[in-house]
Amino acid sequence: MHLAVIDWVIIAVYLAGCMAAGIWMRRFVRGVEDFAVAGRAMDLNLGIASLAATELGLVTVMYTAQLGFTKGFAGATIGVLMAAAMYLVGRTGFVIGPLRRAGVMTIPELFEKRFGIKVRWLAGLFIVLGGVLNMGIFLRLGGEFLVAATGMPAHWLEWVMTVLLGMILLYTVLGGMLSVLVTDYLQFIVKGMGIVVTSILVIASLGWDNLVSGLWLCWDGTLAGVGQMLKAHPFNPLHPTNFGWGYLLWQLVFQLAVATTWQTQISRVLSARDETTAKRMYRRAAFYFVGRFGLPGLWGAAALVYFSQHGGLPAALQGLTANEASLRATPAYLGMLLPSGFIGLLLAAALAAEMSTDSGYLLTWATVIYNDLIVPCVKKPLSSAARLLITRSMVLAIGVFLLFYGLWYEMPGNAWDYLAVTGNIYLASVFTLLVAGLYWRRANANGAYAALVLGAVGPITFLVVNLVVVKAKQLGAHPPAVASLAQEWLLRFNHWFPQAKPIDPALAGASSFALAFLGMFAGSALTPGPAEGKIATPQEVA
Amino acid sequence: MMDLFVVFWTFMIFTSIFWYGFLLFYVGFKGGREIKSMTQAFGRRHEEEKR
Repeated sequence: MHLAVIDWVIIAVYLAGCMAAGIWMRRFVRGVEDFAVAGRAMDLNLGIASLAATELGLVTVMYTAQLGFTKGFAGATIGVLMAAAMYLVGRTGFVIGPLRRAGVMTIPELFEKRFGIKVRWLAGLFIVLGGVLNMGIFLRLGGEFLVAATGMPAHWLEWVMTVLLGMILLYTVLGGMLSVLVTDYLQFIVKGMGIVVTSILVIASLGWDNLVSGLWLCWDGTLAGVGQMLKAHPFNPLHPTNFGWGYLLWQLVFQLAVATTWQTQISRVLSARDETTAKRMYRRAAFYFVGRFGLPGLWGAAALVYFSQHGGLPAALQGLTANEASLRATPAYLGMLLPSGFIGLLLAAALAAEMSTDSGYLLTWATVIYNDLIVPCVKKPLSSAARLLITRSMVLAIGVFLLFYGLWYEMPGNAWDYLAVTGNIYLASVFTLLVAGLYWRRANANGAYAALVLGAVGPITFLVVNLVVVKAKQLGAHPPAVASLAQEWLLRFNHWFPQAKPIDPALAGASSFALAFLGMFAGSALTPGPAEGKIATPQEVA
Repeated sequence: MMDLFVVFWTFMIFTSIFWYGFLLFYVGFKGGREIKSMTQAFGRRHEEEKR
């Protein structure tokens, strides 16, 4: 551990302040509306702080830094697209305007008005599964950042993250969105300070010109002799070795879907004072998302250049796979770079990033479980206290689930694909339902069911085909002496389709959106809608 | 060595650092005031409910 007393003091003061503020907000919670959407009293700047804090977690820092390490500055292009999507949505009010006007607490609640209660329940299930399973990776990745940056023993990871989750659960269960908003505000400030100071120190230590020329040298292979070969063009995202046009176009659609559909972002829209506040919040926060990718990307690119110029990766990272090494290189570099006091600030910022994201996500998915999965099944109206108790219990239950699923339980190798796929299923189907429900009069429940089912087909096909192709290739290269039935089948597959390749993730993602829209169109156009007056029109919904 | 993409990323990264620094103070100041008025409003509402 390379932490000095001053570092511990900074971390302790931050944690104590955050916990005190979070627990203090409990006194203002009177009902589920206060707990889930802060009584719809959130103003513009608090909204910007909360949105920015929730969407910049430690997991984000890890993968955006990894993009900087493997793709140079061009890795931040996704952040530019995200900012463009946020600004566009904030400017036009596309989806978020009618959603806020509808006065709902969650997205599926709007679907009940438009498509009926069964669609609400099914969409709620998709949202919860996609959201909670995605969140499963947060704790472990966040813990790995802390291990690499502090040099603490690796076996502490589970315990440190368990204690941290316990603290997050305490204030989230007690104060709900009110606590989340106030702690997000503190975390936004601590995190912002950490990011700005770290970025300035990174540039000052390496020198901007040295960083840029170092990236060119890593790219053209001059520095490749130390195991730091940069395989993608470090500045041009359109270069065939980097993202390319197809992937970036797909990402633009994807980011548009995230800005309008991802429930943790939408919960800030629904907590806003009014529609105008929500739209302004999106516009003002938009550029923050460039830095969300660009600044950790800068650290990742700097780590690449630094290690290239200093004899390669540190010994602790050399035995790892290329993917793992690229993921841990940036925190290891920051741990070496930052002096006492600054490392404490970086760690406080890292804890802030983890806490703000986890608390926001826990609350959001718990609200959907209560509002869209439990309430539609309850025949008798519940008391205000009972409703609050159920929502709080759901926050706690998700926390416990995450502890075992995401931290103490070792996920199988293909879990990452699985998580990406579940997120895609959610986004493709719910985005389709929202757009059609709000802007297409003929959309009906049959179209909604078809969109939900077909939106899941693309990602699941991707998962299955890629698993089969990869396993068949591995078996084909090293056939076992005695093959099981499944292995025989895979060997036959390899014999029949020797040229088979895994499906491109961009193609799988784009096809899931196309299929969901096709399902909505075909289902709604080919089947009669409900009788006039039985279900709300898009205008009545908003 | 200098091309348009390098200029673009140099601009984006330095502007991001400036923007984060600016928001730190601007949102820090205004957000703090909003928390104060929000908690005061909640406090008043609860006083009224008690009465």
